[in-house]
Amino acid sequence: MLSDKAKKEIEAALKKYPNKRSAVMDALRIAQHDRGGHLERSDMEDVAAMLEMNPVEVNAAAAFYTMYNIRKPVGKYHVQVCRNISCSLLGAEHIIKYMEKSLNIKTGETTPDNRFTLSTVECLGSCGTAPMMQINDDYFENLTEQKVDEIIKKLV
Amino acid sequence: MATIKINGKEITVEDNTLILDAARKAGYEIPTFCYQADLMGIGSCRMCLVEIEGQRKLQPSCITPVLHGMSINTDSSTVASARAGVLEFLLANHALDCPVCDKGGECELQDMVHKYGPRTGRHAEPKFKFHEKDYVLSQVIIKNSNRCVQCMKCVRVCREVVGRNVLGALGRGDHQEPTSFNRTFLDCDMDGNCIEVCPVGCFMRLPYRYKSRPWDLKGADTICPYCATGCRMVIEERDGQLLRARAQLGVGLNSETLCARGRFGCDFVNSAERITKPLIRHQAATWAEALASVKDGFSGKEGKHIGGVAAATLTNEELYLFQKLMRTVFGSPNIDSSSRWNSDAASAFIHAASMNEGGVSIFDCMEADTVLIIGSHISDENPVSEYIVRRISSNRRMNLIIASPRAMKLDSSANVKLRHLPAAEKAVLDAITLVINAGKLSEAEKLKAIKDSKMVDLLTAAGVGVDEITDIAKRLSASQSVAIVAGTEFLRFPDGTSGLALLKDVLKNLGKKVTVMPTLDRCNQRGAWEMGVHPSFGPGYATAEKGMDTEALLEAAMRGEIDALYVVGEDIISDYPDREFARTALSKVRFLVVQDIFMSETAKLAHVILPGASFSEKEGMFTNQEGRAQSIRKLLALPGKAKRDLDIIRAVGELFDGSFGPKNAVLVLDEIRQVNPMYSDVSLLFNNKKNSDNRLDNRAALVKCAAGVLPAAGEFASKAVSSRMEEHSFALVTGSHLFHLGRFSRKSETLLGLIKGATVEICEDDAARLGFVSGEKVKVKGKNHEVLATLKTSTGSKSRVAFIPESFEDAEVNRFFRRGEGVPRVSITRANQ
Repeated sequence: MLSDKAKKEIEAALKKYPNKRSAVMDALRIAQHDRGGHLERSDMEDVAAMLEMNPVEVNAAAAFYTMYNIRKPVGKYHVQVCRNISCSLLGAEHIIKYMEKSLNIKTGETTPDNRFTLSTVECLGSCGTAPMMQINDDYFENLTEQKVDEIIKKLV
Repeated sequence: MATIKINGKEITVEDNTLILDAARKAGYEIPTFCYQADLMGIGSCRMCLVEIEGQRKLQPSCITPVLHGMSINTDSSTVASARAGVLEFLLANHALDCPVCDKGGECELQDMVHKYGPRTGRHAEPKFKFHEKDYVLSQVIIKNSNRCVQCMKCVRVCREVVGRNVLGALGRGDHQEPTSFNRTFLDCDMDGNCIEVCPVGCFMRLPYRYKSRPWDLKGADTICPYCATGCRMVIEERDGQLLRARAQLGVGLNSETLCARGRFGCDFVNSAERITKPLIRHQAATWAEALASVKDGFSGKEGKHIGGVAAATLTNEELYLFQKLMRTVFGSPNIDSSSRWNSDAASAFIHAASMNEGGVSIFDCMEADTVLIIGSHISDENPVSEYIVRRISSNRRMNLIIASPRAMKLDSSANVKLRHLPAAEKAVLDAITLVINAGKLSEAEKLKAIKDSKMVDLLTAAGVGVDEITDIAKRLSASQSVAIVAGTEFLRFPDGTSGLALLKDVLKNLGKKVTVMPTLDRCNQRGAWEMGVHPSFGPGYATAEKGMDTEALLEAAMRGEIDALYVVGEDIISDYPDREFARTALSKVRFLVVQDIFMSETAKLAHVILPGASFSEKEGMFTNQEGRAQSIRKLLALPGKAKRDLDIIRAVGELFDGSFGPKNAVLVLDEIRQVNPMYSDVSLLFNNKKNSDNRLDNRAALVKCAAGVLPAAGEFASKAVSSRMEEHSFALVTGSHLFHLGRFSRKSETLLGLIKGATVEICEDDAARLGFVSGEKVKVKGKNHEVLATLKTSTGSKSRVAFIPESFEDAEVNRFFRRGEGVPRVSITRANQ
């Protein structure tokens, strides 16, 4: 179930769009935030009911974009490392391995304390500052081992 | 017009023609997966890539329109290698389990790889799998997404044609899977159109699973035996069992679509309950004994004490011979084709819908500026007609107006939806006519006319607001051409026919082109009337001595005046709107012969039962609601000692007149063509080729104008209901269910698997007011009868209307009715109260 707060947020977001169904991505983002980083089946049903859509259409929109995590709970910090061409050329592979080592999990896993989830993503549009990653809503750029240590230290 | 070159051949086509269509017109084949005429183009499969001179990249021909002067190459080596490349990628993750796949042998991917594909694969990587085991998506669909080629035709057909929109494309790229919300069990129309359009074995029929291979099937191109839309389909058998029915892209007015009844409901012919031998007083007998008994029963009886009822599910040939038997051999004018409504209602409907003026194509109707659908729950009653309306109305600017007490799926395509009280078609139409007429007056007069007391009465009777009516009237007035689709409610409540005739005339007088298309719920109802199975006219609506209809026959039987009654295929007891009366009356008939394929309630009372044939065991012709004459083809052998209905009717005739005939279906057809000018030159030729231009409208099959002039319709008493009711009180309406129509569907295993027990449908608001939830058992109680049924709620239906379908044995809905009474009132309460 969506919280009342999320419902209000979605209602407010609806005003930005020409019709209700156009707001589906915004509504899903709010719903995912509300749930704490992922979407459950009921969230998609609630969004569908609010936007007068068929649940499967909402499901299709959510499943198309990697930023929605359908029925995959994530930790408090969702670390998404870019692995596209620019980042790869500048050492993304190494950064990913280093992250795995320092968090002691494999890509796609969550730490036992539910603090970090590590995943790789396609281009986040920040090639000029490669290699880079996104943690929750923030970008971290020009990554080196040292920088990664600092970032993790701050979050822990 | 644009002139283009395709493979060096010059061709001129209309502007905006797709390259694909132009190339096919020029005679070049271009393979496709995702392209389908009538569905929105998405250009996703890349099979149709062609080379355009001057453009560096290959272009998808299914979404690229031609430009004047274009030079296109469809079979260069670049194109060939692109096709092979696309197929190689499709096979990269394809399961390649053809030996166990139901689609093997009729799979488009197989065919294409065979024709264009790479002979070897280079992919060494492990294949991506959506899931390990096939999963069941609904009672009729089993799914294997690992075989998907991502053409998304299933998703589009569900959204654009069926209008359910319950399938979605989940994921992206080669991980995209067309399925239901969260892969949950589907609650949809179960029509299997997604299975039909699937080029591979991704969507499969559950009832047909592992039953056969396509090359082991023998098929016949025939017509669906359920509603009067007249869908062309191929039925296929193996070892004498009908295994499946399928539609064909570009063939028949339905093209690739069918509804649940047509696609899954034809297995009733396999039923073990079929009558396979003649019975005399329910004891097995030989044909000679049975016919001798019939001869005894009819000998020496006067024509006026004999009657005949033949169902509107028989072929035209059988119906023609039946009326000939009754009229010439027995000298009896007492014949009818329905027990649900009386023959005067049928005459009035034929008159109002101008059915005697010849056939009206549904595609012509959909060319009109405004289409008004009234008196028909078209979504449940004629699903494929509904698909055609949805498909066309979403592609052009037009008004679609739906007037009905119950909400329906097609409402989402409508510009105006009017919810009126049951049996108020006349009030609605009269009110519209009044406002249209007032449109000719000055403003002040107009206001007065609209506010006058007659208008108020009409609005109250219909339970609608003046704004809704004026909106409809405005749209009709502003249109150059109007099509009215009139359904079976006009037969149940015949007072509406005068309203229909009046509106038609008023619109015509305003200089508009008006067409009326009837929608009917028995496959050959129109044919039955046109063959003269009606007590007031003969074949071709020719004037005939007036006889008794089913209702009058029952009344006469009640008085003990019917000596012999011959009933073919009709179940009077189950259908006549007063079950007990029909049963008592029929039990007083001195000699009752029933010819049927199942032991119906009426057959249980029969002295002699003659086993007939189903639609799959005989040849003949059906006339659909539009007036399109179409052939049905024989596929199966007759079960046991059953005989074709035509042979039985002829044999009965020969008992009394050795020369009675014609002797076979072909000769009967010849006689029909001579006797009935409507059929003199209808073409029954099948075009079995896939039409490249997807032209579905076979005009040569439409019947022509009748020679006879129909007598004007009489007056009918109104059965209108008032809107004032007690708290639990509802007006009961009835009709066909989406999955069940008539009696045949109740013997179909697959359809019984979809829904078995009766439902009662009321609107959501009423349910909420009374504290009911959808799915709970409720007691529906009328003055004469009560039943337990599962409650179903619908959004947007008229309040205080309860709907119980006609076909369910556990809710014998005709028991609620009493002769001479109008729409029954029922109360709905919790089952345990």
